Amino acid sequence: MITLWINGKPYEAAEPGRSLLSFIRFDAGLTGTKYGCGDGLCGACTVLVDGQALRACGTTVGAVAGGSITTIEGLERDGGLHPLQEAFIEESAMQCGYCVPGFIMTSAALLAQVPRPSDGQIREALTQNMCRCGTYQRIIRAVERAAQNMAGDAP
Amino acid sequence: MSAPPAGSPGLHVVGDAAPGFPPPRGGYASAAYGNTQPEGAKVTWLTVRPDGTAVAYAGKVELGQGIRTGLAIEVADELRLPLEAVEVVLGDTDRVPWDMGTFGSQSTARVGLQLRRAAATAREALLRLAADHFDLPPEDLNAEGGRVVSRSDPNRAVTYASLLADRSAALDIDESAPLTPAARFAAMGSQQRRVDARERVTGRARYSQDVMLDGMVFAAVLRPPSRGATLASVDVSIAERLPGVAGVVRDDGLVAVLADSDERAVAALAAVQARWDEPSDPPSHLDLPAVLQQTARDPFVMQEAGSLDEGFRLADGVLETVYFLPYVSNAPMEPRAAVALWEGDGLTVWAGTQRPFGIRAELAQRLGIDESRVRVIAPEVGGGFGSKSPYPIAYEAAQLARIVGRPVRVAYTRLEDMTYATFRPAALITVRSGFKADGAIVAWQFDACHAGERAPIGRRGSESPYDTPHVKVTTYSSDSPLPSGSYRSLGGAVNHFARESHIDEIAAAIGVDPVELRLRNLSHKRFRRVLESAAGRHGWSGAKSPSGRGVGVAVGLDVGSYAATCVDLDVVGTEVRVRRVTVALDCGLTVNPDGAINQVEGSIVMGMGTALYEAIDFQNGRVLNAGFARYRVPRTSDAPVIETVLVGDDETPSTGAGEPAMVPIAAAIANAVFDRTGQRIRELPIQRHLR
Repeated sequence: MITLWINGKPYEAAEPGRSLLSFIRFDAGLTGTKYGCGDGLCGACTVLVDGQALRACGTTVGAVAGGSITTIEGLERDGGLHPLQEAFIEESAMQCGYCVPGFIMTSAALLAQVPRPSDGQIREALTQNMCRCGTYQRIIRAVERAAQNMAGDAP
Repeated sequence: MSAPPAGSPGLHVVGDAAPGFPPPRGGYASAAYGNTQPEGAKVTWLTVRPDGTAVAYAGKVELGQGIRTGLAIEVADELRLPLEAVEVVLGDTDRVPWDMGTFGSQSTARVGLQLRRAAATAREALLRLAADHFDLPPEDLNAEGGRVVSRSDPNRAVTYASLLADRSAALDIDESAPLTPAARFAAMGSQQRRVDARERVTGRARYSQDVMLDGMVFAAVLRPPSRGATLASVDVSIAERLPGVAGVVRDDGLVAVLADSDERAVAALAAVQARWDEPSDPPSHLDLPAVLQQTARDPFVMQEAGSLDEGFRLADGVLETVYFLPYVSNAPMEPRAAVALWEGDGLTVWAGTQRPFGIRAELAQRLGIDESRVRVIAPEVGGGFGSKSPYPIAYEAAQLARIVGRPVRVAYTRLEDMTYATFRPAALITVRSGFKADGAIVAWQFDACHAGERAPIGRRGSESPYDTPHVKVTTYSSDSPLPSGSYRSLGGAVNHFARESHIDEIAAAIGVDPVELRLRNLSHKRFRRVLESAAGRHGWSGAKSPSGRGVGVAVGLDVGSYAATCVDLDVVGTEVRVRRVTVALDCGLTVNPDGAINQVEGSIVMGMGTALYEAIDFQNGRVLNAGFARYRVPRTSDAPVIETVLVGDDETPSTGAGEPAMVPIAAAIANAVFDRTGQRIRELPIQRHLR
């Protein structure tokens, strides 16, 4: 048995070769993390492993054993939304919403490393996440807004 | 769904199932899908609950276009309620009025108007109740914020909740109930956040991919390696013995492995040994222009005026050009998935489809049961753009669940979703024009061959809006080596690419600025307004093309809405960098401006992909570039700065916003590429043909 820590809770996994994405969605029942392509190309399945953004579809349970995993369901703190979640709502940075958890998780990893990213840094960090509805302009604005709010210089 | 059970508390507003059915124009959906007819009985559109909040019902689905928000805004304003007090129920065949499907940008135009009427009916009824309550004339009363207040004595006020108490009543929609005038809009026309945003940012929004039931098994279905392949023989003896396999089903061409996990089902399917008979030597994407030309049939005259002979005789110059557009893939972010549950002889299927009622009819027919025993629930839909009207895995899930006696999940992988799909019809379009030295276009001959037997889907948007006196627009149906189907704006974007590219070619031929040439030939007021607005906001300065600057323009009309688009771009090698896009949109009364702007931005990004990168390649009946490794779509780094100007007026009825910006963008980009490089690219996608 392998123990995975997801959003601060332990989960038991029997097979080390199990896809991390399938484990999160079907075994742990955390369906906020999405299946988009299965090839690590669209970013819909992005989770944080020890703070790093990782494509869950290309990773096995065994490869992250002992790591601390955060999914979209684990971003809220004390019942309050993460500043990125607030900013995506404020900017209406969504249409169908299927890509939104992946974008937020990639952005969370970016802001942890680069608290005030430039437009170019945001585009580069997010370019492996796909939004087929085409809300990129809003997503970029939302990440900028969240960065401002997290830095405490909200307008 | 029928009228509410007698005695169900609250104020119910009922009406015909399908307002305005069938649609006055197009008839595409019935041609394409042979839809069922609406049910005869009256259905409930709106209930004001005993606590004074409201719930509205619509047969549309939410696939990103923001219709839940748009409808909630309309109901809230008519009922004078805060937005939070309105719930909108969508896409569940047991709970909502019959609907043909979510396509053609009809949700706001038709269902929105129906719900406004229902809400206005309820508001007037509440005013009458209050008039009795206070013994005051109705003219003295005003509904506001969930209360009815006396104008003469504002201390006399009563909440909807107290008026309704435990009352139960059903009213017919009153077509004469006055709709709220624009001056009294509170939510309509102003900046509103989506009512379903929180679920989307927290991961709680549930899509068909996310539906999981107790005892559910995962299916992996054997699929043909090529289009038209038939199963010659199959050996499942190894697959049956693999770990976790609950069974292998062989049922009339349907071969599926059922297992206790998604991965075990896929692994077991890989162990199924199948031999296929495949059609010999089918055409490839390289043969497509020839196929379209050689198999063209069923000419259909979309527009005719004057005489082409006369027009070309009058012309000082004549230009003839040919445009080609390949198949493109909708590729929404959520691949289709379906879960089926049988309870006795009743079936429930969760399917993220654009046509829950159409799928219900298909299931009933194929399974040989009555429609009343079938419930289809479309939860949140992760994008569609037309591709989720066909939903064959709903049947597969239902049939497998019936055979194994457990809930079954069938989900496409990304590769399956892009392979066993329909594609925007490829087209070969010849345009021949005659024009005077001053730029007046006097003859216009437009012949478009669209792939697919279902001709209407290619025809849309082929008519010319210009003032040309001698016009003939003819569309043809050609063989379609791949299944052609619905795609945002259907033929609209296809036909507009040819027309608006050709208009620019005329401008270049006579040395007139492309905006100026259009204005000289365009007297239609709404067209002129969007063109002048877009050019003005973009900072367009007239010049003969190619100017080396990389600016381009195009105009379009789709679903009754007018759009004009200006583009700035740069070309680096064969990579086109779209920098800035300005769109002016006239969709009449704009219920939810930010929602409309969001749709415009999405249309620009999606249209940019079709202009620059996207084409489905195929050979021997196989799609060669399914999946995002080989099929490039626009990414964050490709996204231009997009500015949208809404120029519709509140007195013009609402028309769609989800598609119109899609129709001019590809030509605007091709025109800007010409302006930058002098290369006229008549074949999409542009980046494959730039030198």
